[in-house]
Amino acid sequence: MIDEATMVAMIRQALPDAVVRVRDLTGTMDHFDVLIRSNAFAGKSLLDRHRLVEKTLKPARDDGRIHALSIHTELLES
Amino acid sequence: MSDEIRSEIEREIADHTILVYGKGTKDAPQCGFTLETIQFFNHFGYPFEVVNVLENMPKRAVLAEITDWPTLPKVFINGEFFGDTDILEPLARSGELQTLLENAFAGSNVKPTIQLR
Repeated sequence: MIDEATMVAMIRQALPDAVVRVRDLTGTMDHFDVLIRSNAFAGKSLLDRHRLVEKTLKPARDDGRIHALSIHTELLES
Repeated sequence: MSDEIRSEIEREIADHTILVYGKGTKDAPQCGFTLETIQFFNHFGYPFEVVNVLENMPKRAVLAEITDWPTLPKVFINGEFFGDTDILEPLARSGELQTLLENAFAGSNVKPTIQLR
């Protein structure tokens, strides 16, 4: 299990401009749906955007704090 | 060993126009996202295969390496990697996926069993 602030901090470390919305899908703090808005996604395919996000959260994936994660990405409004 | 697994994966990808590596089987999915992917493709009505790799850690490691994608399920269409439903759903909404599937099955006699809206 992981809290929202920790997740947001991990994402922002790699994507400093990121606006992040986290939803805890099950109330157990390990199944999440995240919406990330960042201009770091510009020019990247959906696959690469998701790879980028998964890499920022890899430590929490590896040790099981995050069990399930659905990812949505958008560019920041310009 | 890793080479053998790699050939096995290549063979599976070549043999199935739509291939899902997931946790559990079509009849008994053991993960919410694998179930979601099965329901997703059931809706399209084209044949697809689900390969259960839940207990097969060496194969999961090779798959992750090949795709640079850490999680399951992993979907391949016509040999191309498409991630999971987070990637496929936007493609379905824009209509790209329908076209892609029609083209993927164009050379075969396979027709979808369900009429798409």
